[in-house]
Amino acid sequence: MSDSIIQSRRLTKQYDGKAGCKNITLDVPRGVVFGFLGPNGAGKSTFVRTMLGLIKPTSGEAVMLGLPIGSVAARRNVGYLPELFRYPEWLTGRQLLQTHAELSGVPYGERKKRIDALLDRVGLTASADEKIKGYSKGMQQRIGLAASLISDPELLFLDEPTSALDPIGRKEVRELITELREQGKTIFLNSHLLSEVESVCDHVAIIHKGELIVQGLWRELSDIRTTIEIMAAGMGEAMARLDHPAVTGTERVGAKEGKDIWRLTLDEEEAIPDVIDRLSSQGARIYQVVRKEPGLEDVFIYWINRKEMERGVDRR
Amino acid sequence: MWTVAKLSFKEILYKRIFLITVLMSLAFLVFYGIATYYAGGKIAEGLGSRAADPDAILQRQFFSSQFLGIGLYMASIIASLLAILSSVGAIAGEIESHQMDTLLARPLHRRSVVLGKFIGLGGLLALYAACLFTGIICINRWLGGDVLQASVSFGQACKAGGFFVLQPLLLVSVALLFSSTMSTINGGVILIILYGIGFVGGFIEQIGGLLDNRPLVNIGIVSSLVFPLDSLFRHMTITLFDTADDPISFASQGIFGSVSAPSGLMLAYIVCYGIAALLLALRKFERRDI
Repeated sequence: MSDSIIQSRRLTKQYDGKAGCKNITLDVPRGVVFGFLGPNGAGKSTFVRTMLGLIKPTSGEAVMLGLPIGSVAARRNVGYLPELFRYPEWLTGRQLLQTHAELSGVPYGERKKRIDALLDRVGLTASADEKIKGYSKGMQQRIGLAASLISDPELLFLDEPTSALDPIGRKEVRELITELREQGKTIFLNSHLLSEVESVCDHVAIIHKGELIVQGLWRELSDIRTTIEIMAAGMGEAMARLDHPAVTGTERVGAKEGKDIWRLTLDEEEAIPDVIDRLSSQGARIYQVVRKEPGLEDVFIYWINRKEMERGVDRR
Repeated sequence: MWTVAKLSFKEILYKRIFLITVLMSLAFLVFYGIATYYAGGKIAEGLGSRAADPDAILQRQFFSSQFLGIGLYMASIIASLLAILSSVGAIAGEIESHQMDTLLARPLHRRSVVLGKFIGLGGLLALYAACLFTGIICINRWLGGDVLQASVSFGQACKAGGFFVLQPLLLVSVALLFSSTMSTINGGVILIILYGIGFVGGFIEQIGGLLDNRPLVNIGIVSSLVFPLDSLFRHMTITLFDTADDPISFASQGIFGSVSAPSGLMLAYIVCYGIAALLLALRKFERRDI
């Protein structure tokens, strides 16, 4: 069995030669939360819809759970919560889950138990027998999430799964995602909400203007630069005299208890002790040094800018 | 496929259009029943003691076939409009609202969706059409009196009812083709125009037959080839009225009968037309981006 649950090779879907996604070569390992990141209109949903066989690829190929996309067998162990979720409004929440259980081939004897458990998990037990027509947007997203899990899928595609939820609902979805990962499931999380991805994803791919910018372990991708924050007295003069080749940026970001707080960007982690030594020798009295991890937003912008720069170089 | 069929069957029951149509159909049947009852009495009164005259028998049979024809034609229009309105958005509407996304993300062949819709919608509409047909026949039989009661055997009624029920099935097939190919609004407009062509073409063909005007008959034939729903209705009336023990074919009288009768080949064409539409719907939907 391959370690990758999704493998796409130059998968392309273009609409009249425009938009969509282009040459996406992706490997999604099993049992991870895979964040597929990109701004609105980047091609994230197009890629997911192509994987699910809702749209036909223009070129390229892909397999999902070892089976070619577009085949019925490939979708047997897959759950999907679309970004634009809509369900038959005349059904009740419970009836919707029963319908999806039937469509997914869940054994008859197991259905009730599984439906009750999922309704409880998404917090809709009390309104399970109400018509979806009367559900709020958030409730519809919750019932959609339950429907996507009804077949106990190995692979779950969640396209902007918290777009209609309040902060509590978002937290609950994050907890659910973590719980599903612990059960060994793979979650393909499509999102433009960087904070959401940052908190739950171990693997990330960034897509921009239909093209894959980068993919890999979040830990590795986020290792883009070293940033430290130093709280010290006499930093102004020390900084003026500091001439270290590893320091690529300095910025005074605030003050606390009469001491200045400076943010330094270094191009390598190894330079930290040396920089601190030099600042001390220049007269800075250092009280605190904090290593700052880059946020997903920083990582995201870094990789997009880097790609743009590479393109600029290529064009020249 | 059966889950989709069940879902489609239930969905139409929940839709307001179905409830409205059922209520309006009941109102129509009540209205038609009252009209039949009073017309039967009035015509019987007019014929008086001449009722047994050959001339009066012809008149009586003319009125009975016309009255029954009116009822069945109206019933056909109601069943057809319900079939169009409920089926033309069956696939396109769900694509437009994105309800189709979660359905197709399941381990389901796309053909199961189309066939399921056909079975669900077609089953319910066939049942509705059969009830409407039975209602009209019963009204004619029980309220038409001696004058308006058409001479129709049980076997004839069943056979004609079968052709009547085929009408919404043909419409559902064609509606699903349009629904698989284009938007609800475009499909609806095209299907209603096609229905109009068949409707008007049917009358033109009958008028052409009465006047022995070949070009008019040909126009009717072409319109039947484009959309053969009216031919199905004409075939139904022939089956219903043209009795073996009746020396005069009353199907060849009046605008609801058939002067220019559809051939057996036409019937085969209608069946092929419906099947071809359904197969094309399967093919189109299979290839369509959702």
